[in-house]
Amino acid sequence: MRKRAEVFLFLFIGAFIGSNLRYLESLIFKPSNGFPLGTLVANLSGALVLPFLIHYLQDRFNLSSRVILTLSTGVLGSYTTFSTFTADTYRLFNTGQWLLLFIYLTLTIVGGFALAILGNYWAATQAFNDYAKKSREERS
Amino acid sequence: MINPLLVGFGATIGAFLRNELTLQQAKLKIDFPIVTLFINIFGAILLGIFTAQIHNGAILLLLGTGFCGGFTTFGTFNMELSQLWFQHRLGRCFLYFVLTYIFGILGFIVGIHI
Repeated sequence: MRKRAEVFLFLFIGAFIGSNLRYLESLIFKPSNGFPLGTLVANLSGALVLPFLIHYLQDRFNLSSRVILTLSTGVLGSYTTFSTFTADTYRLFNTGQWLLLFIYLTLTIVGGFALAILGNYWAATQAFNDYAKKSREERS
Repeated sequence: MINPLLVGFGATIGAFLRNELTLQQAKLKIDFPIVTLFINIFGAILLGIFTAQIHNGAILLLLGTGFCGGFTTFGTFNMELSQLWFQHRLGRCFLYFVLTYIFGILGFIVGIHI
């Protein structure tokens, strides 16, 4: 992991996938009223999955630091975006779409935090269920 | 068909720079996710500048959707927020939350008007 070229290669793979998933969603989820649904879907799903990856999948599948770098910093880091969120906010403000602006801000700000908290609980629950299942199997 | 390539290459450079900067967090010895805060605010300013100055759709995809989108991150920001929350460091959690959103949105507006 010391070599920068190696890091660049893994991030190249991860960022290519993550950013294009986001780009694809921005093309698919495109309501006629201009609501930035694509960015919202990418940001909220990414906020949920990242804690689950770090606190559950990493241990569960013994993922190496290279795989974690590719998936977390690469895929999920590029899949989610903060800058586009600020651009969407400004656009809705500028066009005076107050209701859409309010909905977008609330869902992003409250939803992002709530889903990250939920992702942590999801990881803990899943780890506990695995542990309970393993103990049951050992007893039987 | 060139659009996914533009987005992907831009995002790769953005993610690599983000990673290089995030690695400096440990050396700073500051008990606050200041690097992600800086990345997100700086990325928002840059996107504002690009949005106002660049009128070529392909270059905007490379630098905006690609580079700025890959450089800034919403997932890590909320992950760090949730960590502060679970560590019961609620003051820092709230400060990080407020600073990111206020200066992020202000940053984009500043970038647009530079």
